[in-house]
Amino acid sequence: MKISRIIAYVVLLAFIFSLPTIVRGNGYYIHVLILCVVNVILASSLRAITTTGQISLGHAGFMSVGAYTCAILVMKLGVSAYAGMILGGLVAALLAIIIAFPVTRVKTLYLAMLTLFLGVFISLGLTEFRSVTGGTSGIIGIPALNKISILGINIDFATRAANFYFISIVMLIVLVFLYSLDQSYVGKTFKAIAQDEALASSTGINVTKYKVAIFCIGCFIAGVAGGFDAHYLTVITPDSFGIFPSIYIIIYVIVGGPNRFAGAIIGAVVLTIVPEAFRAFKEYQPLFFVAVLYLVVFLLPGGLVTIPQYLRFSLRNIFKGRAAHAGD
Amino acid sequence: MLETRQLSKHFKGLVAINNVDFNVGQKELVGVIGPNGAGKTTFFNLVTGFLKPTSGKILFEGRDITGKPPHAIAGLGIVRTFQLDRIYHDFTVLANVEIASHLQARIGFIESIFKTRPYRKKEQSARENAMQILQFLGFQDKKDELARNLSHGHQKLLGIAVALAAKPKLLLLDEPLAGMNVQEVGHTLELIRQIRAEGTGVLLIEHNMRAVMSTCDRLLVLNFGTEIARGTCEEIQRNKDVIQAYLGAKRNAA
Repeated sequence: MKISRIIAYVVLLAFIFSLPTIVRGNGYYIHVLILCVVNVILASSLRAITTTGQISLGHAGFMSVGAYTCAILVMKLGVSAYAGMILGGLVAALLAIIIAFPVTRVKTLYLAMLTLFLGVFISLGLTEFRSVTGGTSGIIGIPALNKISILGINIDFATRAANFYFISIVMLIVLVFLYSLDQSYVGKTFKAIAQDEALASSTGINVTKYKVAIFCIGCFIAGVAGGFDAHYLTVITPDSFGIFPSIYIIIYVIVGGPNRFAGAIIGAVVLTIVPEAFRAFKEYQPLFFVAVLYLVVFLLPGGLVTIPQYLRFSLRNIFKGRAAHAGD
Repeated sequence: MLETRQLSKHFKGLVAINNVDFNVGQKELVGVIGPNGAGKTTFFNLVTGFLKPTSGKILFEGRDITGKPPHAIAGLGIVRTFQLDRIYHDFTVLANVEIASHLQARIGFIESIFKTRPYRKKEQSARENAMQILQFLGFQDKKDELARNLSHGHQKLLGIAVALAAKPKLLLLDEPLAGMNVQEVGHTLELIRQIRAEGTGVLLIEHNMRAVMSTCDRLLVLNFGTEIARGTCEEIQRNKDVIQAYLGAKRNAA
């Protein structure tokens, strides 16, 4: 790796970890930052699934499976919060494996319908199994993350900043993992499958295996994020993981730019912060998302991530135009 | 090497392939011809596992491969090309062939995340395999071009390169010459002969009769899913049934 790159990463890391200080410990701002980080995790994991040409309209459903599993295990069985998060992810991945086989066999509109239905089904299930999930009122009073002591320093998760540091570390691990996968031979194979499944299978690629694997990985990550959400918010209800959150995650990916790894990250950050800035118009949030989606699809089909490219291109055209005029 | 026994495929009422008994020997170059809709491509789809036969058996090197999925059949050594230019349009030429080296590379998930030493070796060997094939096809100067920007003839050649990267023992070519100009046809035929000379069996569907007659050892002629003739090129050229299938019978014949 080039030294300039390493320096860039270190600066970025330092920036991320100094964010709570930059916002002067303001609780609300840190809350928004945590939302950003969670959404980055969700959008990136969904984007990984889309690289194989699949789409899931039920991603928040898997998040809720992680959140509920984690909450129930921690509160009823006394499992530690961290083990609970991992187990929540595993249960989400297990559910993903079970439903992945029908899911990976259908395409386009049918796949969208199937995953949408799945999300609704999970949400209904959480509402109906009152004895375990608390029905519509959900689960209340989930404890904060356990204290950790590293090298004699006690980290108490009573503060929001500590939660932010924790989930940021989780995000970095997830991003490094997904990025390495994306840039590897396996990641290229995903993109090959997205382009032509028949061709891929004719050269010996087990298309189903690859699609199921990335679907499960994506759902595992969503489940872990859900587990964190449960501990951070201390309250989870079926509503917090309905259809809208699932669709928002897709919009993050599309608006950011699905063809580039950074796209999902940029989309999630921008579309988390901007609506928060206009909190007074909260009822119009779905309208805002749809408007942004339309604008991006028509004006910037490659997503926000292509803005620098687009600017460079238009600037060059302007200069070229001038040069042509000067030559007249 | 490849053998089909009483192979049949029905689509609802339509009989696409009807009791075809056929075999291809080691290093043989066999042509499959017949009028449009004769079931040639369906035959390929059955052999490569893209379609499941209604009845009958397919054997490859003595092993029953009936009903196996396409990737498993490719793993055993039967690789096909497609009639349409099926290539990865958004990849470079090199990347197209690299990804098709999958069977040789056998790269796992975990090692590709940690970029271990074996991973880098395997990736390197996939690249070398791809470069070798591109050189074989005289394609190396185009390796960094996007596949979608290639000419039609080059896209067809890339389709063959992709199939070759999977190191087939038996290569099934579905109309490789369609839409090519005279020069490209000559070049491609020369390549097909060379592929065979290097020890790969070839099964060729083609409408260009001059090309078929000049390259194939043997022919299988299908019409309405049924075998109507087989034999050497000379035998087929004299065969009445074949001439009738292609040109139609005279009304007052017989």
